[in-house]
Amino acid sequence: MSYQTISIAGLLYILAMPIYIVYVLTKNNKVGYIATATLSFGALIHIYGFIQRFKEMYAINHSIMRSIPITNLYESLIFFVLCLIVGYLFIEWKYKKKSFGVFISIVAGITIGLTDLLGISKEVQPLVPALKSNWLLAHVTLSFISYAAFGISFITGLLHVIMESQDKKSFKYIFSTTLLGFMLFMFISVIIDIITASNPKTVKIFHSTIGNPSVFISIISWMILIFLIFITWKFGHILNKILNSFKIDSNFLEDITYKGIAFGFPIFTIGGLVFGAIWADQAWGRYWGWDPKETWSLITWFVYAFYFHAKFIRGWRGTKTSMIAVVGFIVTIFTYLGVNLFLSGLHSYGSM
Amino acid sequence: MSKIDRWNEKIWNFFASVDLAIALFIIISIGAAIGTIIPQQTDPEAIVRFFSKFLPPVSAMKAYEIVNLLDLNNLYHSWWFTFLLFMFALNLIVCSTDRLPSLLKSFKTSSHPLPAQVLEKMPIKKKIDNIQPNILDKINGILKNKGFSIHVFETQEGIQIQAQKWSKTRLAVYLTHLSILIILVGTLMGTFWGFRGSMNIVEGTGLNFAISDSGKAIPLDFEVRCDKFEAEYYENSSIPKAYRSYIRILENGQVIKFDNKENVIIEVNQPFSYKGITFYQASYGFQPSEHAEFRFTYFDKTGKEHKINARFEEKFNIPGTSAIASVIDFSPALGIDEQGKLFNMDTNMINPAVLVQFDDKGKKTEQWILTRIPETWVTPYGKLKFNELWGAQFTGLQIRKDPGIPLIYIGSIFLCIGLFISLFLRPITLFVTISKDNLIFYCPSSKTSLIIEKQINEIINKLKGENI
Repeated sequence: MSYQTISIAGLLYILAMPIYIVYVLTKNNKVGYIATATLSFGALIHIYGFIQRFKEMYAINHSIMRSIPITNLYESLIFFVLCLIVGYLFIEWKYKKKSFGVFISIVAGITIGLTDLLGISKEVQPLVPALKSNWLLAHVTLSFISYAAFGISFITGLLHVIMESQDKKSFKYIFSTTLLGFMLFMFISVIIDIITASNPKTVKIFHSTIGNPSVFISIISWMILIFLIFITWKFGHILNKILNSFKIDSNFLEDITYKGIAFGFPIFTIGGLVFGAIWADQAWGRYWGWDPKETWSLITWFVYAFYFHAKFIRGWRGTKTSMIAVVGFIVTIFTYLGVNLFLSGLHSYGSM
Repeated sequence: MSKIDRWNEKIWNFFASVDLAIALFIIISIGAAIGTIIPQQTDPEAIVRFFSKFLPPVSAMKAYEIVNLLDLNNLYHSWWFTFLLFMFALNLIVCSTDRLPSLLKSFKTSSHPLPAQVLEKMPIKKKIDNIQPNILDKINGILKNKGFSIHVFETQEGIQIQAQKWSKTRLAVYLTHLSILIILVGTLMGTFWGFRGSMNIVEGTGLNFAISDSGKAIPLDFEVRCDKFEAEYYENSSIPKAYRSYIRILENGQVIKFDNKENVIIEVNQPFSYKGITFYQASYGFQPSEHAEFRFTYFDKTGKEHKINARFEEKFNIPGTSAIASVIDFSPALGIDEQGKLFNMDTNMINPAVLVQFDDKGKKTEQWILTRIPETWVTPYGKLKFNELWGAQFTGLQIRKDPGIPLIYIGSIFLCIGLFISLFLRPITLFVTISKDNLIFYCPSSKTSLIIEKQINEIINKLKGENI
C-alpha cells in the first residue's frame, strides 16, 4: 500500500533531524552529506509512494487527471511535506549551506505525525462529483507549493528573529523561542504518540504526553514542555554563534524569508484564491461565498500583502518583517488545518 | 492657503497613506475572522446556543444583543464591513493617483551623475584593478547585451555609468492595485444586477420560476423541463459517483435546440448557460409524484426485448406468457439486516428494488427484483429487468445571473500578471565608475542583492574573458 511507503519516507525525514544536529555540533562534512542523503533518499521514496498511490487511484477512477493523489486531507498534508523537503534541498544545493535542515525535518516530522494522529483516513477514496474537476489539480497543487514556500520562510524568519534579538525580554524573542520550544516538544511527542499507539485508528495527538489520562505523566510532560521552552529562551543566542560558524548571517536568513514569500505569494494568489474562485464558480455558481476556508485564505493573503507593504513602502527592516513571516505561516496553518478542525465549511476533504 | 484647502490636503493625505492600508488589512482581517467563528445567517436561537457553549445564559443573551447591534450574524453584508471594503477601495484609488505621477515623471526626467560620497555609501561594491583603455566600450556593450539602458557621464573623478534594467516593472504594482478595484467593481455589479436562486424540478415536470435565497420567486421567461435525472453510486456505498439532469428549455411552447440537440445535460462542474442565466447541478432527492412509473425491460425466449412501463399496483402482461404482473412494493435502497430482514437503507436510489407479484391463472408468486443485481432479474416467466422508477426524484438546480463575472475574470488575470512582474522582475540599478586605474561597481539597494551580485560577477567574468 502506498501509505506504508510514504510512512517509510516520513521515518527518514524524522531520522534526518538527529543527523543534522550531529553535523551542526561536530561540523563534520561527512555527517552533513549523510544528513542530506537521508532527506534526499526520503524524498525519492516519497515520490515512489506518490506514484504508487497514483496507480491505486487510477485503478478506481480510470482517469489520469483524476488520479493525482491530492484529493483528501492525508494526501494534501503529505504533498505539502514533499514540497517542503524538495524546496529545502533546492536551497541547500543552490546556496551550499546545510543550515536549517534540523528545523525543516522538525516541521516535516510533525506534519507526518499529524497524519497519524488526527484520525485522518489514509485509504484511497473515490472522488465525490464536486471534486471531479481539472481545477482540483491546479488549485490544490499550487496552494500546497505556496504553503511549502511559506513554510520555508517561516523557519528562516523564526531563526532570524531568534538570532537578531538582543533583548531577551522583548516580545519577539519570547514569542519565537516559545514557538520553537513548543515545536521541539511537539516533534518528540508526536514520535512517542505514534510508537505507543495501541490502536492507530483512535489515537489522539499528545495522548502520550500532556494529554495522557495519567495525571502524573501529564504533569511531567507539561514540566518538560515548559523546561524545553525555557532552555530555548535561555540559550537562543547560542543559535547566533552556531549559525555564524556556518557562514549563515542574518542577511541570508532575511533574504531567504523574503524569497520564500515572494515566490509563494503570487502562486498562492493564482492557485489558492483565483483558481479556487473559478472552481467554486464552475461547481456552485458562486466565486466567493465567505466560506470559512475562503475567508481565512483571504486573511492569509492580507498578512503577506502587509509583509510587502511594510518591507517596500514603510521600509521595515530586519526582525520586524520576519515576525510577519512567522505570523503569516501560523495563519496559513490555521487556514489549512484549523478551519477543518474547528470550523465548518465546504472544504471537508471528504471525511476527517 | 485657505482653510478648506488645508482640510482637503489633510483628508487626501489620510487616504493616500500606506498606514491606512496596513490598518485596513488588519481590521478587515479581524472582522472577517470573527465572521468565521460566529454562525452566519442563522436564526437567533442558533447564535444564543453558540454563545451558551462557553458563557453563562445571561452573558449569552448579552452577547447576542451585541451580535444583533453590529450585524455580526450577517457580518459580510453588514454596513460596517461594507464600509471597510469601501474605505479599502478608496485608499487604493487615492494611494495610486498620489504616487503614480511621480513614478511616471521619474521615467521621463534625465538623470544626473551622483556625487562620489553617495556612491561610497552604497551596500554593494566590487572593484577591478589594472584595466585597459578600451574598457568603456566593452562594458557598455556587455551591459546593453544584458538588457540595461545606459547613461554615461563625465565627472571629476572619471567616467560614471548609470545602468538600469526592468525599471518599468515598477508600474506592475499599479496593475495589481487596479485589478483589485476591477474585482471589487465586478462584485458590486453582481450584487446590484445579478441574482441567485434554486429550483427543484421533479422528473417529468417543468418550472418557469426559481426561488431566491430570501424566499422570493424569480420568474424566468422560459420553462426548464427535467426529462430524466440519474445518480450513479460507487459500488456498495452511498457515495455518489456522478449525478446529472437531462434538461429541455421551452420558450413560448417551442423547444429550444442547442447544437441541434433538444436535450442538455447538466452535471456537477458542468453548468449550462442560457440567456445570461447559468444553471448548476447542486442537489437531488427522492420525491414520488402522481406520474411516477416503474420501467422494465422484458427479454422473451427468443431474446427479443420488450419495454414495459407500469404505475404502482397497475397490472401488466408478461409478453408471450399467460402471467399478469404488478409492482406491490418498492425500496430505493434495499438492504438486509442481521436477522435477514429486508429494510430501506437510504431515501436515495442507491439500490432500487421492486417486489413484483406474478399471477398466472390464480397461482400467485412474489419476487424482489434489484436493478444492480442481474441474478434477481431471472423469474419463472423469463428475464425481467427493473430499469428505474421514473418520476420519483427531483433535481436541485442552482441558478445564477451575474453580469460582473467577466470583470472578475479580467481582474484575476491582471492581478496574477501584476504580481508576477512586480515580484519576479524587480528593477535593477547599477553604477559603474571608471577612473585611471580601476573600475568599480556600485549598487544602491540590498533588496535584490543576490541577483545583482550574480549579474555583476557575470559582467566581470565577461570583461576578464575578453581581456585574455
